[in-house]
Amino acid sequence: MNPYYDEAIGDARKDFLRTDSPKTLFIGNGILAAVYFLVLAFVFPVGNPVLFFLLVVGEIFHMWQVFTFLYTVWDTGYQSPAYRGYAPEVDVFITIAGEPVELVRKTVAAARVMRYPNFTVHILNDGFVAGKENWREVEALAKQLGVNCITRTVAGGAKAGNINNALRFSKSPLIACFDADHVPHSDFLLKTVPYFGDPKMGFVQTPQFYKNLGENYLTRSSWEQQELFFGPICKGKNRLNAVTMCGTNMVIRRSALEEVGGMCTESIAEDFITGLLMHGRGYRSEYVPEVLAEGLATEDMLSYSKQQFRWARGALDVIFRWNPLFMSGLTTAQKIQYLSSASFYLSGAIVLLDALLPVTFFYTGLVPVHISGMLLAAVFLPYLFWTLYVIQRSSNFTFTFSSLGFSMGSFNIHLRALASAATFRKSAFGITAKRRVDGNFLPLVSWHIAYIALVVVGIPVAIVREGISASLLNNGAWAVMNSAVFIPIIRAAWPTRIAGTESEQVPAKQKSHEIVDRD
Amino acid sequence: MKSSIAIKTNAQAAPWRVAFERSPGLVLAVIAIVPILAARYFIGESLRLDEAQSLWQVSRDIRGVLVIVAGDVHVPLYHLLLHGWLSLFGNSLTAARILSLLFFLLSIPFVYLLGKRAYSSTTGLLAAAFFAFSPFMNWYASEVRMYTLFAFLTIVNQYFFLRILEEARPRLGTWAGYALSAVLGVFSHYFFFLNLLAQGAFFLLRRKAFPPRTALRFSLVASFIAIAFAPWAWYVRLRGVAGFQEPILLPPSTVDLFNAFSQFLFGFQTDVINTVFLSLWPLAVVLGIVALRHYRRFLPQTEFLIAAVLIPFGVAFIGSRFITPIFVSRYLVFTLPAFYLLLLRLLSLYPRRFQIFAQVSLAALMLLAIGIQVTNARIPVKEQYASAVSYVTAHATAQDIVLVSAPFTIYPVQYYYRGPAPVRTLPAWNQYEFGPIPAFSPDALSAEVTGLTQDYQNVYLLLSYDQGYEEVIKRYFDSNYERLSAQNFSGSLNLYVYRLRYNTNASVISTPL
Repeated sequence: MNPYYDEAIGDARKDFLRTDSPKTLFIGNGILAAVYFLVLAFVFPVGNPVLFFLLVVGEIFHMWQVFTFLYTVWDTGYQSPAYRGYAPEVDVFITIAGEPVELVRKTVAAARVMRYPNFTVHILNDGFVAGKENWREVEALAKQLGVNCITRTVAGGAKAGNINNALRFSKSPLIACFDADHVPHSDFLLKTVPYFGDPKMGFVQTPQFYKNLGENYLTRSSWEQQELFFGPICKGKNRLNAVTMCGTNMVIRRSALEEVGGMCTESIAEDFITGLLMHGRGYRSEYVPEVLAEGLATEDMLSYSKQQFRWARGALDVIFRWNPLFMSGLTTAQKIQYLSSASFYLSGAIVLLDALLPVTFFYTGLVPVHISGMLLAAVFLPYLFWTLYVIQRSSNFTFTFSSLGFSMGSFNIHLRALASAATFRKSAFGITAKRRVDGNFLPLVSWHIAYIALVVVGIPVAIVREGISASLLNNGAWAVMNSAVFIPIIRAAWPTRIAGTESEQVPAKQKSHEIVDRD
Repeated sequence: MKSSIAIKTNAQAAPWRVAFERSPGLVLAVIAIVPILAARYFIGESLRLDEAQSLWQVSRDIRGVLVIVAGDVHVPLYHLLLHGWLSLFGNSLTAARILSLLFFLLSIPFVYLLGKRAYSSTTGLLAAAFFAFSPFMNWYASEVRMYTLFAFLTIVNQYFFLRILEEARPRLGTWAGYALSAVLGVFSHYFFFLNLLAQGAFFLLRRKAFPPRTALRFSLVASFIAIAFAPWAWYVRLRGVAGFQEPILLPPSTVDLFNAFSQFLFGFQTDVINTVFLSLWPLAVVLGIVALRHYRRFLPQTEFLIAAVLIPFGVAFIGSRFITPIFVSRYLVFTLPAFYLLLLRLLSLYPRRFQIFAQVSLAALMLLAIGIQVTNARIPVKEQYASAVSYVTAHATAQDIVLVSAPFTIYPVQYYYRGPAPVRTLPAWNQYEFGPIPAFSPDALSAEVTGLTQDYQNVYLLLSYDQGYEEVIKRYFDSNYERLSAQNFSGSLNLYVYRLRYNTNASVISTPL
C-alpha cells in the first residue's frame, strides 16, 4: 500500500511532478506584472525619495523573480534521450558523518539490492574526522552488509572532501551519490545511468523526496517548499540544460568531476557550485522527474534553519564568488538560471524591506508614494492572484501558504547568509540532523516576533499622530499581511514536545548560535 | 472523487448540518426571516427617484408601458409584471415593493441549489444565508425596480448552466430551463447579456468539460434568444428613443470598481465606513494566500463563477471608461450570487476553525451592515423625497412655484405632492411629450427662470440629482434672489427657498382694494 496516496489528494510522490505550462496564463502574468510595475513606478506621486527608491528596487527584484520563473517553467516537458542498454560500472557513494547506524543500514541495504548489473557500494565514513562516536559501528555495518567502507582520517572539505577522498579509492566511470538518509529505489540506476550514453552528460539529478513529510508541521511545510523546486522549476531547468546539482540522489560522470577538480570544497553548497563548474566546462545535465530515492526532512526548527543557511550561503556564493555572468563556457540561459536560483536568497532583504515600509509609516508618517483611490489595488490584486494561480497551475496545485510562509519567513536566515557571503566569511558545513531536536526555538524567530511587536506598538503611535486615516488603515492592513506570512514559521518554532518520540535535547544557548557561521 | 469527499464531510458533519441536509426547506425558511424583518423597515422608506419612475411608467395600459419603457434604458419584463401586480393588489408603494421582495425570497432557495450544484449542500446553505443577509440585496428587495427579478433569473439561469456542465447527458428539462431563464433574463435587464457573454467565454475556454454536442445546443438556445429578443430590439430601434430619460453617468473610477464589491458585502454605507472598507484592501491578499492549500485545484465550476463575476465587471468598467458610462453597481447585481459562492469557496479552503470564524464574522458584519442601513438616515442611497415634499406641502402656497432639477426627479415629487403650487422642471420638460429631456443651457437659464417664475412670489428649488449643472442653477438663484432657507433632507437632496418678489399679480388681484 502506498502510504503517500490519498484518494482525495492523490500521490504525494508523483503529483508535484505532474506539471503544467499554460502559455496563455504565463503571457497574461507577464503583462499584469509589467503593468503593475509601471503604474507603481511612474503613476503615483513620489513620497519620501529614499523609501521610493527602495520600493522600486524591491519591485524590480520581484519582476526579476516573476519573469525568470515564467521563463523557467515555460516548458517543463523536455527530456533528453536515454540510451537503453547503456550500463557501465557505477560506484555508489553513501556519505556518512555520524548519522545513526540504523538509518545508514536502511540506505546501504537498499543500495545493495538495486537492479543493475555492475556496481559497487561504498560507505564514505566521515565519522572519525567529524569526531562522531559511531564511526566504528559504521565500519562494522559495512562489513556485515558486505560493502566497502572508506573512512577518512584526514579532515577537510566536509562532504565534498569526503567524496573527493573516495574518488581515489574507486574507479568506475560513473558515481551515484546518496546522503545517509536517502534510500534509493531498486530502479534508481536503471533510470538514471542510460542518460550517460551521451558522452557530454555530466550529471543526472533526481528529486529529493522527504518520506517523513507527514511527521510534523515542519516536515510537511519543508516538503511543500521542495515541491515547487523539484517540480516545475527543475523540470524547466532541464530544458535549459541548467539542472541544479543537489548533492544527493544523483549520478555524476567521474571524468567530468575530475575535470573541475572534484567536488568544490570552497563552498558549503559544494553540489551547487560543482554543477555550475561542470556546466561551465560544457557538460550537460539531466533531471529525471521521478522519485527514485526517499530521504528525511529536517524535523525541528534548528535543523531547518541550519539547512536553510547552508543552502542560502552556498547559493549566494554564486553571486559573490562564482558569478556566472563572468564565467566563460555557460550559455545565456544557464547564466540566467544560476542567477535566478542564487538570487532567490536575496529575497530576505526584500521581504524585510517590504515589511518595514508600513512600520516606517507608523513611526514617522513617511511613505514611498502617495496613493489616492484604488488604482494600486486595481493593478496589484490581479497581478498577485494571477501569479499565485500560475504558480499553482504550473506546480499542479502543490504551492501552499505554509511554503510561502516558510520562504518569506526565512528572511532572517537569508539576510545572515547574505552578510556572510558578501564579506567572504568561511562557514562550516553542518550536517543536517536526522533526529528531531526538541526545545524552545522561539529565539530563531525573534525577528518575526519583534516585527509583530513593532506593528502592535506602531499602530497606536500612528493613531495618536494622525488619527484613523485611510493611510493608517491601508498600512495597517499591509502590516497584518506581513505578520500573517510570518505565522507558519513562528508556529514551527513554537515549543513542542511529542511524548514517546526519539529526540535530542539541545542546550538553549547553542541553538541561537549554531547557525551563525564559524571562521 | 467528489462523492467520496462529500461522504467524508457528512461523516464529520455537525448535527445541525445533518439536520439541514435532511430538511433544507425548513432551514431556508428560517434564513428568510432576516429579509422579511429587514423589509419591514425598508418598505417604509421614502419613495426614491428610480421607484417613482417605475410607478409612473407602469401607470398606463400595456401598450403605453411598452412605449415608455422603450424610451428608457431598460427592458419591459419587470414593468409588465409590476403593471399586472399592481392591477391585482392595488396601486400602492408597499404593494409595488412587495413584488421585489418576493423575487428576492424566491431567489434564496435557488442560491442554495446553485451552491449545492457548484460545490456542496453546505456551501449552498451558506451561500443562501449570505444572500439572505446581504445588505445590498435587502435594499433592492424593497425597491420598485427590476433588480431582484434580474438576480433571480440569473441565478436560475446559472443553475441550469451548471447542470449542463455537470450532467453527462443533460436532459431536455435542463435545456428548457436554461433557455427559458435566458429568454426571460434578457427581458429583465440589458446587462443579462453580460451573463450570457461570461457563459459563452467559459464555454469556449472549457469546451471539453461539457458533454458532447453542447455547442450545437447552445447555438440553438442562442438563436431562440435572438428570435425572442429581436422584436423588442427592432421596436426600440424603430422608435429611436432608447435612453431619452437616461441620467448622465460619470465614467467610473477604480474607487467605484472596488466600492461595488464593498457594497455587495456590506451594502450602502456612509463615506467614512466605505473609506475604512476600501483602505483595508490589502487584507484581500491575506484572504487569498491563506487559502493556498495542497491539491486544492480550481474546479470548472470555480472557473465559471470567476468568469461570471469578472467578465461583466470588466466589460462594464472598461466599456464605461472607453465607450460610454454604464458602470452602476446595481446593474451588476446579477454577479452577486457568484461572488458570494467564490468567497465561500475561498473560505472553505481555510483550516476548519479559521473557516468557521471567517464565515461567522462575515455573516455578522453583513447583519450589522443591514442594521446600519436601517437606522442611519445619512446613508447615500436614502432619498428623502417624502420629507422634502412634505415640507413643501406644508409651506408652499398657490403664489409659489416648485422647481425641480434634474428634470427626471419630478417623478417622486409628483408622487407625493398634493399642494397648490405648480411643479416645474429646470430645464423645462414635459414628461408627457415624445422626445428626450431638453439639454441644459447656461445661456438660456435666465430667460427660462424668468419665464417660469414671473407670476410667483417664492420658489422652492429642489436639487437632487446633479447632471453637471446643479451648481450653475444654484449660483444663479443665489446671485439673483434672496435665499430664505436651505435644507438638506438626504445625501444630495437639497431644498432651497428663494424670494422672487414681495407681491405677485395673483396676490395683487386677490388683495381687497
